[in-house]
Amino acid sequence: MRKPNQLSKPAEIIVYILLILAAFIALVPFIWLIASTFKNNYEIVGVPATFFPKKITFDHYLYIIGKFKIFTYFFNSLFLAVIKTSAGVYSSVYIGYIFAKFEFHFKNPIYYIIVFTMTVPALVTMIPTYDMANQVNLIDSWWAIILPAVVVSFGIFMMRMYITKAVPTPLLDAAKIDGAGQFFIFHKIVLPLSSNMISALSIFVFLGSWNDFLWPYLVLNTQKKFPLSVALQMMVGQNNTNYGALFVATLLTIVPILIVYWILQNKLIEGVAMTGIK
Amino acid sequence: MNQIKKIKTGNKINSLQKEDNKSLFFIIGIVVLILYYTILFIYPLALAIIRSFYDWNPLRGTLKYTGVENYHNLFRNPLFYISLKNTFIFTVLAVIGRVIISLLIALGLVSITKGRNFLRSAYFLPVIMPIVAVSIIWVWVYHPQVGLLNMFLDAFGLQKQLFLKSPNQALYSVVVMVIWKDVGYSVIIFTAGLLGVPQNLKEAAWIDGANRRKTFLVVTLPAIMPTFTFVLITALISYFQSFVEIFIMTGGGPGTSSYVLSYLIFDQAFKSFNFGYASAISVVLFTLITVVTVIQLKLLQGGNEE
Repeated sequence: MRKPNQLSKPAEIIVYILLILAAFIALVPFIWLIASTFKNNYEIVGVPATFFPKKITFDHYLYIIGKFKIFTYFFNSLFLAVIKTSAGVYSSVYIGYIFAKFEFHFKNPIYYIIVFTMTVPALVTMIPTYDMANQVNLIDSWWAIILPAVVVSFGIFMMRMYITKAVPTPLLDAAKIDGAGQFFIFHKIVLPLSSNMISALSIFVFLGSWNDFLWPYLVLNTQKKFPLSVALQMMVGQNNTNYGALFVATLLTIVPILIVYWILQNKLIEGVAMTGIK
Repeated sequence: MNQIKKIKTGNKINSLQKEDNKSLFFIIGIVVLILYYTILFIYPLALAIIRSFYDWNPLRGTLKYTGVENYHNLFRNPLFYISLKNTFIFTVLAVIGRVIISLLIALGLVSITKGRNFLRSAYFLPVIMPIVAVSIIWVWVYHPQVGLLNMFLDAFGLQKQLFLKSPNQALYSVVVMVIWKDVGYSVIIFTAGLLGVPQNLKEAAWIDGANRRKTFLVVTLPAIMPTFTFVLITALISYFQSFVEIFIMTGGGPGTSSYVLSYLIFDQAFKSFNFGYASAISVVLFTLITVVTVIQLKLLQGGNEE
Protein backbone atom coordinates (compact mmCIF):
# COMPACT_ATOMS: atom_id res chain seq x y z
CA MET A 1 0.00 0.00 0.00
CA ARG A 2 1.11 3.52 -0.77
CA LYS A 3 2.07 5.61 2.24
CA PRO A 4 0.01 8.76 2.77
CA ASN A 5 2.88 11.13 1.98
CA GLN A 6 4.10 9.26 -1.04
CA LEU A 7 3.21 10.79 -4.39
CA SER A 8 2.64 9.03 -7.66
CA LYS A 9 5.46 9.46 -10.18
CA PRO A 10 3.82 12.10 -12.41
CA ALA A 11 2.60 14.03 -9.38
CA GLU A 12 6.09 13.98 -7.96
CA ILE A 13 7.54 15.41 -11.16
CA ILE A 14 4.99 18.24 -11.16
CA VAL A 15 5.76 19.02 -7.52
CA TYR A 16 9.48 19.14 -8.32
CA ILE A 17 8.94 21.44 -11.28
CA LEU A 18 6.85 23.84 -9.18
CA LEU A 19 9.32 23.81 -6.29
CA ILE A 20 12.27 24.46 -8.58
CA LEU A 21 10.34 27.26 -10.29
CA ALA A 22 9.72 28.83 -6.89
CA ALA A 23 13.43 28.54 -6.05
CA PHE A 24 14.24 30.19 -9.38
CA ILE A 25 11.92 33.09 -8.57
CA ALA A 26 13.55 33.44 -5.14
CA LEU A 27 17.05 33.62 -6.62
CA VAL A 28 16.73 35.29 -10.02
CA PRO A 29 16.75 38.93 -8.80
CA PHE A 30 20.10 38.31 -7.09
CA ILE A 31 21.59 36.66 -10.18
CA TRP A 32 20.40 39.56 -12.29
CA LEU A 33 21.90 42.02 -9.81
CA ILE A 34 25.28 40.27 -9.93
CA ALA A 35 25.23 40.18 -13.74
CA SER A 36 24.26 43.86 -13.89
CA THR A 37 27.21 45.00 -11.77
CA PHE A 38 29.43 44.18 -14.77
CA LYS A 39 27.40 46.22 -17.29
CA ASN A 40 28.27 49.79 -18.17
CA ASN A 41 25.64 52.44 -17.40
CA TYR A 42 24.53 52.73 -21.03
CA GLU A 43 23.74 49.05 -21.14
CA ILE A 44 21.90 49.18 -17.79
CA VAL A 45 19.37 51.74 -19.01
CA GLY A 46 19.53 50.74 -22.68
CA VAL A 47 16.49 49.28 -24.48
CA PRO A 48 16.16 46.38 -25.08
CA ALA A 49 17.26 45.36 -21.61
CA THR A 50 19.79 42.57 -21.18
CA PHE A 51 20.12 39.90 -18.53
CA PHE A 52 23.82 39.10 -18.89
CA PRO A 53 26.34 41.83 -19.76
CA LYS A 54 27.29 42.20 -23.41
CA LYS A 55 30.64 43.65 -22.46
CA ILE A 56 32.17 43.20 -19.03
CA THR A 57 33.44 46.20 -17.06
CA PHE A 58 34.90 46.45 -13.55
CA ASP A 59 34.62 50.25 -13.40
CA HIS A 60 31.77 50.21 -10.88
CA TYR A 61 33.75 48.07 -8.46
CA LEU A 62 36.73 50.41 -8.68
CA TYR A 63 34.50 53.43 -8.13
CA ILE A 64 32.69 51.94 -5.13
CA ILE A 65 35.88 50.82 -3.43
CA GLY A 66 38.03 53.84 -4.34
CA LYS A 67 35.72 56.88 -4.48
CA PHE A 68 32.67 55.78 -2.51
CA LYS A 69 34.92 54.28 0.21
CA ILE A 70 32.50 51.47 0.87
CA PHE A 71 34.82 49.84 3.38
CA THR A 72 34.27 52.71 5.83
CA TYR A 73 30.56 51.93 5.90
CA PHE A 74 31.29 48.24 5.88
CA PHE A 75 33.38 48.48 9.06
CA ASN A 76 30.80 50.75 10.69
CA SER A 77 28.15 48.11 10.08
CA LEU A 78 30.45 45.35 11.26
CA PHE A 79 31.49 47.20 14.41
CA LEU A 80 27.91 48.06 15.37
CA ALA A 81 26.74 44.51 14.66
CA VAL A 82 29.49 42.93 16.76
CA ILE A 83 28.89 45.24 19.73
CA LYS A 84 25.12 44.90 19.56
CA THR A 85 25.30 41.13 19.19
CA SER A 86 27.72 40.64 22.10
CA ALA A 87 25.79 42.90 24.46
CA GLY A 88 22.34 41.77 23.36
CA VAL A 89 23.05 38.05 23.48
CA TYR A 90 24.91 38.20 26.81
CA SER A 91 22.09 40.12 28.45
CA SER A 92 19.49 37.78 26.93
CA VAL A 93 21.13 34.73 28.48
CA TYR A 94 21.63 36.59 31.77
CA ILE A 95 18.02 37.79 32.08
CA GLY A 96 16.61 34.65 30.48
CA TYR A 97 18.39 32.64 33.16
CA ILE A 98 16.94 34.83 35.92
CA PHE A 99 13.42 34.28 34.57
CA ALA A 100 14.01 30.58 34.08
CA LYS A 101 15.50 29.68 37.45
CA PHE A 102 14.82 32.44 40.00
CA GLU A 103 11.66 33.06 42.00
CA PHE A 104 10.86 36.68 42.87
CA HIS A 105 7.96 39.07 43.33
CA PHE A 106 6.20 40.36 40.19
CA LYS A 107 8.12 37.84 38.07
CA ASN A 108 5.21 37.14 35.75
CA PRO A 109 3.93 40.72 35.38
CA ILE A 110 7.45 41.86 34.45
CA TYR A 111 7.78 39.00 32.00
CA TYR A 112 4.45 39.89 30.36
CA ILE A 113 5.64 43.46 29.90
CA ILE A 114 8.70 42.12 28.08
CA VAL A 115 6.55 39.95 25.81
CA PHE A 116 4.18 42.87 25.30
CA THR A 117 7.02 45.11 24.06
CA MET A 118 7.40 42.80 21.10
CA THR A 119 3.94 43.73 19.82
CA VAL A 120 4.28 47.50 20.20
CA PRO A 121 5.22 49.14 16.89
CA ALA A 122 8.71 50.61 16.99
CA LEU A 123 7.31 53.80 15.47
CA VAL A 124 5.27 54.53 18.62
CA THR A 125 8.25 54.73 20.95
CA MET A 126 10.59 56.10 18.30
CA ILE A 127 9.42 59.71 18.43
CA PRO A 128 9.85 60.16 22.24
CA THR A 129 13.09 58.15 22.11
CA TYR A 130 14.41 60.45 19.40
CA ASP A 131 13.45 63.43 21.54
CA MET A 132 15.26 61.87 24.52
CA ALA A 133 18.37 61.17 22.47
CA ASN A 134 18.27 64.77 21.36
CA GLN A 135 18.05 66.09 24.93
CA VAL A 136 21.00 64.02 26.18
CA ASN A 137 23.06 64.97 23.12
CA LEU A 138 23.25 61.50 21.64
CA ILE A 139 22.09 62.53 18.17
CA ASP A 140 24.80 61.67 15.64
CA SER A 141 26.43 59.32 18.14
CA TRP A 142 26.74 55.55 17.90
CA TRP A 143 25.65 55.38 21.53
CA ALA A 144 22.14 56.22 20.39
CA ILE A 145 22.23 53.03 18.31
CA ILE A 146 24.01 50.79 20.81
CA LEU A 147 22.18 51.66 24.05
CA PRO A 148 18.68 50.63 22.92
CA ALA A 149 20.19 47.33 21.75
CA VAL A 150 21.72 46.20 25.05
CA VAL A 151 18.52 44.34 25.97
CA VAL A 152 16.71 42.22 23.39
CA SER A 153 13.12 41.28 24.27
CA PHE A 154 12.76 38.31 21.98
CA GLY A 155 16.22 37.13 23.08
CA ILE A 156 15.05 37.02 26.70
CA PHE A 157 11.92 35.20 25.55
CA MET A 158 13.91 32.58 23.60
CA MET A 159 16.57 32.09 26.28
CA ARG A 160 14.02 31.69 29.08
CA MET A 161 12.25 28.94 27.13
CA TYR A 162 15.52 27.24 26.33
CA ILE A 163 17.22 27.46 29.74
CA THR A 164 14.11 26.21 31.57
CA LYS A 165 14.52 22.94 29.69
CA ALA A 166 18.23 22.72 28.84
CA VAL A 167 19.74 23.59 32.24
CA PRO A 168 18.81 21.07 34.99
CA THR A 169 17.93 22.75 38.31
CA PRO A 170 19.53 19.96 40.44
CA LEU A 171 22.84 20.71 38.75
CA LEU A 172 22.57 24.37 39.75
CA ASP A 173 21.61 23.39 43.33
CA ALA A 174 24.56 21.02 43.56
CA ALA A 175 26.89 23.81 42.48
CA LYS A 176 25.36 26.14 45.07
CA ILE A 177 25.77 23.55 47.85
CA ASP A 178 29.41 23.29 46.82
CA GLY A 179 29.65 27.01 47.45
CA ALA A 180 29.71 28.33 43.89
CA GLY A 181 28.57 31.94 43.47
CA GLN A 182 25.95 32.99 40.92
CA PHE A 183 28.46 34.61 38.54
CA PHE A 184 30.48 31.42 38.54
CA ILE A 185 27.39 29.30 37.94
CA PHE A 186 26.23 31.60 35.14
CA HIS A 187 29.54 31.65 33.30
CA LYS A 188 30.61 28.04 33.87
CA ILE A 189 27.30 26.17 33.75
CA VAL A 190 24.47 28.19 32.21
CA LEU A 191 26.36 29.79 29.31
CA PRO A 192 28.01 26.55 28.08
CA LEU A 193 24.77 24.58 28.38
CA SER A 194 22.92 27.19 26.32
CA SER A 195 25.46 27.32 23.49
CA ASN A 196 23.05 25.93 20.89
CA MET A 197 20.47 28.60 21.41
CA ILE A 198 23.18 31.24 21.85
CA SER A 199 24.51 30.60 18.37
CA ALA A 200 21.02 30.73 16.83
CA LEU A 201 20.22 33.94 18.71
CA SER A 202 23.57 35.50 17.78
CA ILE A 203 22.83 35.03 14.09
CA PHE A 204 19.39 36.64 14.48
CA VAL A 205 20.73 39.63 16.38
CA PHE A 206 23.68 40.06 14.02
CA LEU A 207 21.44 39.97 10.95
CA GLY A 208 18.95 42.28 12.65
CA SER A 209 21.71 44.80 13.27
CA TRP A 210 23.21 44.51 9.79
CA ASN A 211 19.78 45.01 8.21
CA ASP A 212 18.65 47.77 10.57
CA PHE A 213 17.84 50.99 8.79
CA LEU A 214 15.31 53.47 10.17
CA TRP A 215 16.79 54.27 13.59
CA PRO A 216 20.40 54.73 12.37
CA TYR A 217 19.01 56.78 9.47
CA LEU A 218 17.20 59.08 11.90
CA VAL A 219 19.91 59.61 14.52
CA LEU A 220 23.08 59.79 12.40
CA ASN A 221 23.98 62.92 10.43
CA THR A 222 27.69 62.55 9.75
CA GLN A 223 28.29 60.55 6.62
CA LYS A 224 31.39 58.75 7.84
CA LYS A 225 29.45 57.28 10.77
CA PHE A 226 26.81 55.69 8.51
CA PRO A 227 26.32 51.94 8.44
CA LEU A 228 25.98 50.32 5.00
CA SER A 229 22.18 50.37 4.90
CA VAL A 230 22.07 54.14 5.46
CA ALA A 231 24.92 54.79 3.04
CA LEU A 232 23.07 52.78 0.43
CA GLN A 233 19.90 54.78 0.87
CA MET A 234 21.92 57.97 0.66
CA MET A 235 23.17 56.83 -2.75
CA VAL A 236 19.60 56.34 -3.95
CA GLY A 237 18.52 59.63 -2.40
CA GLN A 238 21.22 61.62 -4.18
CA ASN A 239 19.42 60.76 -7.41
CA ASN A 240 22.67 59.89 -9.12
CA THR A 241 22.77 58.21 -12.47
CA ASN A 242 25.70 55.93 -11.72
CA TYR A 243 23.41 52.90 -11.62
CA GLY A 244 26.17 50.34 -11.89
CA ALA A 245 27.85 51.77 -8.80
CA LEU A 246 24.56 51.50 -6.92
CA PHE A 247 24.33 47.84 -7.95
CA VAL A 248 27.84 47.13 -6.70
CA ALA A 249 27.14 48.86 -3.39
CA THR A 250 23.92 46.85 -3.05
CA LEU A 251 25.76 43.63 -3.83
CA LEU A 252 28.54 44.38 -1.33
CA THR A 253 25.89 45.00 1.33
CA ILE A 254 24.46 41.53 0.87
CA VAL A 255 27.72 39.60 0.34
CA PRO A 256 28.59 39.35 4.06
CA ILE A 257 25.08 38.03 4.69
CA LEU A 258 25.59 35.46 1.94
CA ILE A 259 28.82 34.32 3.58
CA VAL A 260 27.27 34.08 7.06
CA TYR A 261 24.36 32.21 5.53
CA TRP A 262 26.60 29.83 3.60
CA ILE A 263 28.47 28.83 6.76
CA LEU A 264 25.65 28.84 9.28
CA GLN A 265 22.50 28.07 7.31
CA ASN A 266 21.65 24.88 9.18
CA LYS A 267 21.95 26.55 12.57
CA LEU A 268 19.90 29.47 11.31
CA ILE A 269 17.11 27.36 9.82
CA GLU A 270 16.99 25.22 12.98
CA GLY A 271 16.73 28.41 15.00
CA VAL A 272 13.81 29.71 12.94
CA ALA A 273 12.08 26.35 13.17
CA MET A 274 12.55 26.46 16.98
CA THR A 275 10.80 29.83 17.27
CA GLY A 276 7.69 28.50 15.54
CA ILE A 277 7.12 25.31 17.50
CA LYS A 278 7.09 25.21 21.24
CA MET B 1 13.10 8.68 57.22
CA ASN B 2 13.24 9.26 53.51
CA GLN B 3 10.42 11.75 53.85
CA ILE B 4 12.33 13.74 56.44
CA LYS B 5 15.42 13.78 54.26
CA LYS B 6 13.38 15.08 51.38
CA ILE B 7 11.88 17.84 53.48
CA LYS B 8 15.30 18.81 54.74
CA THR B 9 16.84 19.08 51.26
CA GLY B 10 13.71 20.92 50.24
CA ASN B 11 14.30 23.48 52.98
CA LYS B 12 17.91 23.72 52.09
CA ILE B 13 17.01 24.48 48.49
CA ASN B 14 14.40 27.01 49.56
CA SER B 15 17.00 28.80 51.60
CA LEU B 16 19.38 28.60 48.65
CA GLN B 17 16.73 30.29 46.57
CA LYS B 18 16.43 33.10 49.12
CA GLU B 19 20.20 33.50 49.02
CA ASP B 20 19.94 33.72 45.22
CA ASN B 21 17.70 36.73 45.43
CA LYS B 22 20.24 38.55 47.60
CA SER B 23 23.12 37.78 45.25
CA LEU B 24 24.81 40.61 43.40
CA PHE B 25 24.14 38.68 40.19
CA PHE B 26 20.39 38.86 40.67
CA ILE B 27 20.38 42.49 41.77
CA ILE B 28 22.42 43.66 38.77
CA GLY B 29 20.18 41.73 36.40
CA ILE B 30 16.96 43.12 37.85
CA VAL B 31 18.26 46.69 38.02
CA VAL B 32 19.39 46.62 34.37
CA LEU B 33 16.08 45.07 33.36
CA ILE B 34 13.93 47.61 35.18
CA LEU B 35 16.04 50.60 34.10
CA TYR B 36 16.01 49.48 30.48
CA TYR B 37 12.30 48.88 30.17
CA THR B 38 11.40 51.97 32.16
CA ILE B 39 13.62 54.34 30.18
CA LEU B 40 13.33 52.82 26.73
CA PHE B 41 9.84 51.40 26.77
CA ILE B 42 7.40 52.49 29.46
CA TYR B 43 8.47 56.14 29.52
CA PRO B 44 8.48 56.65 25.72
CA LEU B 45 5.17 54.79 25.37
CA ALA B 46 3.55 56.92 28.06
CA LEU B 47 5.06 60.05 26.55
CA ALA B 48 3.78 59.16 23.08
CA ILE B 49 0.25 58.78 24.46
CA ILE B 50 0.38 61.94 26.58
CA ARG B 51 2.02 64.14 23.98
CA SER B 52 -0.49 63.03 21.35
CA PHE B 53 -2.70 65.59 23.11
CA TYR B 54 -0.10 68.33 22.67
CA ASP B 55 1.00 70.66 19.94
CA TRP B 56 4.55 69.36 20.08
CA ASN B 57 7.03 70.51 17.47
CA PRO B 58 10.72 70.61 18.47
CA LEU B 59 11.62 72.49 15.30
CA ARG B 60 9.28 75.38 16.12
CA GLY B 61 9.87 74.82 19.84
CA THR B 62 6.18 74.42 20.70
CA LEU B 63 4.85 72.24 23.50
CA LYS B 64 1.27 73.15 24.37
CA TYR B 65 -1.66 71.08 25.56
CA THR B 66 -4.36 71.16 22.89
CA GLY B 67 -6.70 68.37 24.00
CA VAL B 68 -8.03 66.16 21.26
CA GLU B 69 -7.14 68.58 18.48
CA ASN B 70 -4.52 66.28 16.95
CA TYR B 71 -7.05 63.46 16.76
CA HIS B 72 -9.70 65.83 15.50
CA ASN B 73 -7.41 66.99 12.70
CA LEU B 74 -6.34 63.46 11.96
CA PHE B 75 -9.87 62.18 11.52
CA ARG B 76 -10.59 65.03 9.11
CA ASN B 77 -7.46 64.41 7.07
CA PRO B 78 -8.23 62.55 3.80
CA LEU B 79 -4.64 61.29 3.68
CA PHE B 80 -5.26 59.45 6.96
CA TYR B 81 -8.08 57.47 5.37
CA ILE B 82 -6.01 56.73 2.27
CA SER B 83 -3.18 55.51 4.51
CA LEU B 84 -5.55 53.50 6.67
CA LYS B 85 -7.12 51.79 3.66
CA ASN B 86 -3.70 51.10 2.13
CA THR B 87 -2.38 49.70 5.41
CA PHE B 88 -5.26 47.23 5.54
CA ILE B 89 -4.93 46.27 1.86
CA PHE B 90 -1.17 45.84 2.26
CA THR B 91 -1.44 43.78 5.45
CA VAL B 92 -4.31 41.55 4.39
CA LEU B 93 -2.88 40.78 0.95
CA ALA B 94 0.64 40.21 2.26
CA VAL B 95 -0.55 37.92 5.06
CA ILE B 96 -2.88 35.88 2.85
CA GLY B 97 -0.39 35.65 -0.02
CA ARG B 98 2.44 34.67 2.26
CA VAL B 99 0.49 32.07 4.25
CA ILE B 100 -1.03 30.35 1.21
CA ILE B 101 2.14 30.28 -0.88
CA SER B 102 4.36 29.16 1.98
CA LEU B 103 1.91 26.45 3.07
CA LEU B 104 1.80 25.11 -0.50
CA ILE B 105 5.60 25.15 -0.77
CA ALA B 106 5.94 23.47 2.63
CA LEU B 107 3.45 20.76 1.64
CA GLY B 108 5.46 20.22 -1.52
CA LEU B 109 8.73 20.10 0.43
CA VAL B 110 7.57 17.43 2.89
CA SER B 111 6.25 15.23 0.08
CA ILE B 112 9.57 15.00 -1.76
CA THR B 113 12.60 13.02 -0.74
CA LYS B 114 15.59 14.53 -2.53
CA GLY B 115 16.84 18.11 -2.58
CA ARG B 116 14.67 19.32 0.28
CA ASN B 117 17.50 21.11 2.08
CA PHE B 118 18.80 22.79 -1.04
CA LEU B 119 15.38 24.12 -1.98
CA ARG B 120 14.70 25.27 1.56
CA SER B 121 17.97 27.26 1.55
CA ALA B 122 16.98 28.92 -1.71
CA TYR B 123 13.59 30.02 -0.36
CA PHE B 124 15.16 31.33 2.80
CA LEU B 125 17.79 33.49 1.12
CA PRO B 126 15.60 36.59 0.52
CA VAL B 127 14.43 36.48 4.15
CA ILE B 128 17.81 37.34 5.62
CA MET B 129 18.66 40.02 3.06
CA PRO B 130 18.72 43.67 4.19
CA ILE B 131 15.37 45.26 3.35
CA VAL B 132 17.10 48.35 1.99
CA ALA B 133 19.17 46.32 -0.48
CA VAL B 134 16.22 44.17 -1.51
CA SER B 135 14.01 47.24 -2.03
CA ILE B 136 16.65 48.79 -4.29
CA ILE B 137 16.92 45.57 -6.31
CA TRP B 138 13.15 45.47 -6.73
CA VAL B 139 12.96 49.09 -7.83
CA TRP B 140 14.98 47.82 -10.78
CA VAL B 141 13.03 44.59 -11.14
CA TYR B 142 9.94 46.83 -11.56
CA HIS B 143 11.62 49.42 -13.81
CA PRO B 144 9.08 50.47 -16.48
CA GLN B 145 11.55 50.28 -19.39
CA VAL B 146 14.46 48.02 -18.49
CA GLY B 147 13.19 46.06 -15.47
CA LEU B 148 13.59 42.32 -15.11
CA LEU B 149 9.84 41.76 -14.92
CA ASN B 150 9.11 43.78 -18.03
CA MET B 151 11.88 41.84 -19.75
CA PHE B 152 9.94 38.64 -19.04
CA LEU B 153 6.61 40.21 -20.05
CA ASP B 154 8.21 41.40 -23.27
CA ALA B 155 9.68 37.97 -23.98
CA PHE B 156 6.22 36.41 -23.66
CA GLY B 157 4.74 39.07 -25.94
CA LEU B 158 2.85 40.77 -23.13
CA GLN B 159 2.50 44.49 -22.62
CA LYS B 160 5.03 46.21 -20.38
CA GLN B 161 3.68 47.56 -17.10
CA LEU B 162 4.47 50.70 -15.10
CA PHE B 163 4.42 48.92 -11.72
CA LEU B 164 5.81 51.35 -9.10
CA LYS B 165 5.21 54.32 -11.39
CA SER B 166 1.49 53.62 -11.67
CA PRO B 167 -0.90 54.84 -8.94
CA ASN B 168 -2.98 51.70 -9.51
CA GLN B 169 -0.13 49.22 -9.26
CA ALA B 170 2.43 50.71 -6.86
CA LEU B 171 0.99 49.40 -3.59
CA TYR B 172 0.33 45.93 -5.01
CA SER B 173 3.82 45.80 -6.48
CA VAL B 174 5.29 46.41 -3.03
CA VAL B 175 3.02 43.67 -1.62
CA VAL B 176 4.33 41.19 -4.18
CA MET B 177 7.92 42.09 -3.27
CA VAL B 178 7.17 41.62 0.43
CA ILE B 179 5.57 38.22 -0.16
CA TRP B 180 8.58 37.22 -2.26
CA LYS B 181 10.92 38.28 0.54
CA ASP B 182 9.10 36.71 3.48
CA VAL B 183 7.67 33.46 2.10
CA GLY B 184 10.82 31.52 2.98
CA TYR B 185 10.49 32.31 6.67
CA SER B 186 7.07 30.72 6.99
CA VAL B 187 8.14 27.87 4.69
CA ILE B 188 10.70 26.88 7.33
CA ILE B 189 8.20 27.15 10.17
CA PHE B 190 5.46 25.30 8.30
CA THR B 191 7.86 22.58 7.16
CA ALA B 192 8.98 22.04 10.76
CA GLY B 193 5.33 22.00 11.84
CA LEU B 194 4.31 19.55 9.12
CA LEU B 195 7.21 17.20 9.87
CA GLY B 196 6.05 17.26 13.49
CA VAL B 197 2.60 15.88 12.61
CA PRO B 198 2.54 12.30 13.92
CA GLN B 199 2.92 9.91 11.00
CA ASN B 200 0.70 7.23 12.60
CA LEU B 201 -2.25 9.65 12.74
CA LYS B 202 -2.00 10.23 9.02
CA GLU B 203 -1.67 6.52 8.37
CA ALA B 204 -4.69 5.79 10.54
CA ALA B 205 -6.78 8.27 8.54
CA TRP B 206 -5.43 6.77 5.32
CA ILE B 207 -6.40 3.24 6.40
CA ASP B 208 -9.85 4.49 7.39
CA GLY B 209 -10.26 5.44 3.76
CA ALA B 210 -9.68 9.18 3.93
CA ASN B 211 -8.25 10.62 0.72
CA ARG B 212 -5.36 13.04 0.60
CA ARG B 213 -7.51 16.12 0.93
CA LYS B 214 -9.53 14.68 3.80
CA THR B 215 -6.35 13.61 5.60
CA PHE B 216 -5.03 17.14 5.22
CA LEU B 217 -8.20 18.76 6.56
CA VAL B 218 -8.83 16.31 9.41
CA VAL B 219 -5.34 15.43 10.59
CA THR B 220 -2.67 17.77 9.27
CA LEU B 221 -4.41 21.13 9.51
CA PRO B 222 -5.52 20.78 13.17
CA ALA B 223 -2.07 19.51 14.09
CA ILE B 224 -0.30 22.56 12.63
CA MET B 225 -2.89 25.03 13.94
CA PRO B 226 -0.57 26.48 16.66
CA THR B 227 2.13 27.00 14.01
CA PHE B 228 -0.47 28.59 11.78
CA THR B 229 -1.57 30.99 14.54
CA PHE B 230 2.03 31.92 15.23
CA VAL B 231 2.78 32.73 11.58
CA LEU B 232 -0.46 34.65 11.14
CA ILE B 233 -0.06 36.87 14.18
CA THR B 234 3.64 37.66 13.76
CA ALA B 235 3.05 38.43 10.07
CA LEU B 236 0.13 40.68 10.87
CA ILE B 237 1.98 42.66 13.51
CA SER B 238 4.97 43.22 11.26
CA TYR B 239 3.02 44.15 8.10
CA PHE B 240 0.93 46.73 9.93
CA GLN B 241 4.14 48.67 10.51
CA SER B 242 5.96 48.05 7.22
CA PHE B 243 7.91 51.14 6.40
CA VAL B 244 11.31 50.77 4.74
CA GLU B 245 10.02 49.09 1.57
CA ILE B 246 7.48 51.88 1.02
CA PHE B 247 10.07 54.55 1.86
CA ILE B 248 12.63 53.22 -0.65
CA MET B 249 10.37 51.90 -3.40
CA THR B 250 7.58 54.44 -3.73
CA GLY B 251 7.99 57.19 -1.13
CA GLY B 252 4.24 56.91 -0.68
CA GLY B 253 3.65 57.66 -4.36
CA PRO B 254 2.89 58.11 -7.13
CA GLY B 255 1.02 60.98 -5.53
CA THR B 256 -0.28 59.53 -2.31
CA SER B 257 -1.36 56.21 -3.80
CA SER B 258 0.87 54.03 -1.63
CA TYR B 259 0.81 55.97 1.65
CA VAL B 260 0.51 53.68 4.67
CA LEU B 261 0.10 54.70 8.32
CA SER B 262 3.75 54.12 9.19
CA TYR B 263 4.81 56.31 6.27
CA LEU B 264 2.39 59.02 7.36
CA ILE B 265 3.90 58.90 10.86
CA PHE B 266 7.42 59.19 9.46
CA ASP B 267 6.35 61.99 7.15
CA GLN B 268 4.75 64.01 9.95
CA ALA B 269 7.41 63.26 12.56
CA PHE B 270 10.68 63.52 10.72
CA LYS B 271 9.95 65.71 7.74
CA SER B 272 7.64 68.29 9.35
CA PHE B 273 8.62 67.56 12.98
CA ASN B 274 4.98 67.57 14.05
CA PHE B 275 5.81 65.17 16.89
CA GLY B 276 2.47 65.57 18.65
CA TYR B 277 0.41 64.92 15.54
CA ALA B 278 2.64 61.99 14.52
CA SER B 279 2.30 60.56 18.05
CA ALA B 280 -1.48 60.67 17.66
CA ILE B 281 -1.21 58.63 14.43
CA SER B 282 1.14 56.17 16.10
CA VAL B 283 -1.31 55.72 18.99
CA VAL B 284 -4.05 54.96 16.44
CA LEU B 285 -1.76 52.44 14.71
CA PHE B 286 -0.90 50.82 18.03
CA THR B 287 -4.58 50.55 18.99
CA LEU B 288 -5.39 49.00 15.62
CA ILE B 289 -2.64 46.39 15.95
CA THR B 290 -3.73 45.50 19.49
CA VAL B 291 -7.40 45.19 18.56
CA VAL B 292 -6.72 43.10 15.46
CA THR B 293 -4.31 40.82 17.35
CA VAL B 294 -6.80 40.24 20.16
CA ILE B 295 -9.67 39.55 17.74
CA GLN B 296 -7.49 37.13 15.82
CA LEU B 297 -6.40 35.29 18.96
CA LYS B 298 -10.03 35.04 20.12
CA LEU B 299 -11.20 33.75 16.74
CA LEU B 300 -8.43 31.21 16.39
CA GLN B 301 -8.80 29.97 19.96
CA GLY B 302 -12.57 29.74 19.50
CA GLY B 303 -11.97 27.71 16.34
CA ASN B 304 -9.67 25.35 18.21
CA GLU B 305 -12.15 24.59 20.94
CA GLU B 306 -14.88 23.40 18.61
